[in-house]
Amino acid sequence: MLAGIDYFIVIAYIIGMLLLGLYFKKFVNSSEDYFLGGKSLPFWAIGMSIVVSDIGALDFVGVSGQAYRYGISVGNFDWVGSVPAMLLAAFIFIPYFWRGGMYTIPEYLGRRYNQKVRTIASVTWILFFALDLGVLFWASAVLLNVLMGWPIWISIVATAGVVGLYTYFGGITAVIMTDVVQFIIMFIGGFALVFLSLYEVGGWDNMVDKIATMGPEYRNHFDIIQPQDTKSPFPWTGILFGLTFVMANAYMIGNQSIVQRCLTAKNEWHAKASMIFGSALKMFIPILVLFPGLMAVVVHPGLEDGDQALPMMIKSILPPGLVGLMFAAFFAGLMSSVDSLLNSTATLFTKDIYEPFIKKGADDKHYLKVGQITTLVLLLIGVATSPISSDFPGIYVAIQTFMSYFQGPIFAILLLGIFWKRTTEWGGLSALVIGIGFAIYLNVFKEQFFTIEDPFLYISWWSFLLGFIINVVVSLLTKKHTEEQLKGLVFSSKILVENKKL
Amino acid sequence: METNEINAALKAAQINNALGFFIMAFGVIVLFAMIFTETFVEHMTDMVAGLILISIGGGMMWKAKSTIKKLKSKKE
Repeated sequence: MLAGIDYFIVIAYIIGMLLLGLYFKKFVNSSEDYFLGGKSLPFWAIGMSIVVSDIGALDFVGVSGQAYRYGISVGNFDWVGSVPAMLLAAFIFIPYFWRGGMYTIPEYLGRRYNQKVRTIASVTWILFFALDLGVLFWASAVLLNVLMGWPIWISIVATAGVVGLYTYFGGITAVIMTDVVQFIIMFIGGFALVFLSLYEVGGWDNMVDKIATMGPEYRNHFDIIQPQDTKSPFPWTGILFGLTFVMANAYMIGNQSIVQRCLTAKNEWHAKASMIFGSALKMFIPILVLFPGLMAVVVHPGLEDGDQALPMMIKSILPPGLVGLMFAAFFAGLMSSVDSLLNSTATLFTKDIYEPFIKKGADDKHYLKVGQITTLVLLLIGVATSPISSDFPGIYVAIQTFMSYFQGPIFAILLLGIFWKRTTEWGGLSALVIGIGFAIYLNVFKEQFFTIEDPFLYISWWSFLLGFIINVVVSLLTKKHTEEQLKGLVFSSKILVENKKL
Repeated sequence: METNEINAALKAAQINNALGFFIMAFGVIVLFAMIFTETFVEHMTDMVAGLILISIGGGMMWKAKSTIKKLKSKKE
């Protein structure tokens, strides 16, 4: 448990976040303000927010833990697993979403393919986000319980109250701006931790020498590329095909909570720049997350659970004040994940389900209210389902794995939708349905197809490939779209050099 | 500059002002936490971290305030 000044900092941070989030209420007057921040936000804030929502508190702890167990190869997720995909998103995909005045990625799929593809993609994301909410509420409550000694239910209600209030009132502006604060604090605390950890282990060379003498299981700790027969979940084949080609692109281009942030930019230049700036910041993440995990091998050898590496390093290395600040940033990381899910799910429901199917053509204030009420309902669902996570400890991993399965087929239809004029509505629909079905099949019978324990990288690659092939074959057999239908939806080299003003 | 552009710039400046205040307040708290440290290295870490937070927050507030002043006079 924390004590004294650190306890005070965590409490002040939570209250401060609430007040800061509520302050943004005055900027919300329409549904565009609520879902897209009135299209007025600057690139630097969006870039920071993208990085923070990508690397939440659970990932921070998890990646450090994996660096402790498997070494620096986990850094691939933030380098080749992020930067090329973010640049591709910035120059090719974001301009189409932004110019089209879209709110959601399924909205693009609906215009490019048909309403069924839009609805399936949207419902899949809504289900995933709603399931994830309960898990994140539980994780936040456990963190508060451990740090502050509060009972679990009070911790859940406190988290839901704080996040719910500022997301309900402030919309995506509150979500992005609270991320900015979290980013700055996480970076300053993180660099302080790396600096003090290096001091503790006697410098980089000393740490490498010590780890090398610790036994054969640490032999590959400094190999960024792991052989195909490695026991770790990161063989080079999985990293190249599953992560770099599919999951990274699917995450940065096809994930509503990431793309929605770029659509809040004040103009197209800022929308592109936010991704490019985010990719530059992303390159520092392995230093902040990976290095403490590696140094923990020397400072705290023999930990049973690698995920304890980062919390142990923070407690033993950082001085009073920064300990509280880092734990507050962890908690804020969880809050940031929750608020992103709340706002993105409300956007998906309002724009892709409510507006086309329940009430078409209502006035803007009505959709703003629907978005806010959806946020509130999701909050209640999250609170009610959070105890389920305690009964199923593997649920977080299961939910994250579930995401990796549908991302492959969604990315296949997004990619072909933009780059191949010939792809048709039936091609997209069959690729999405069969691709997701195939990923589920591979997961159920994974022991028969794969030798590694958690083959999510391979599954995403094969489901992407099948979705891609199905889309091509079915499209060639069905009626193509007219030039008029494809206007502004397929690739043109002009998109690389032109910036359209708002 | 059109009224819409002025309003958007004002909104951005008001947001930066709020963020700056929040970050600066935490810088002050971290600086204050120096009195609880034991070693010289801990002392310096809190001081540097606190001063960086104060500089970032203070800088944001200063820039935001001057922008707000400029835009308000333009609006009038």
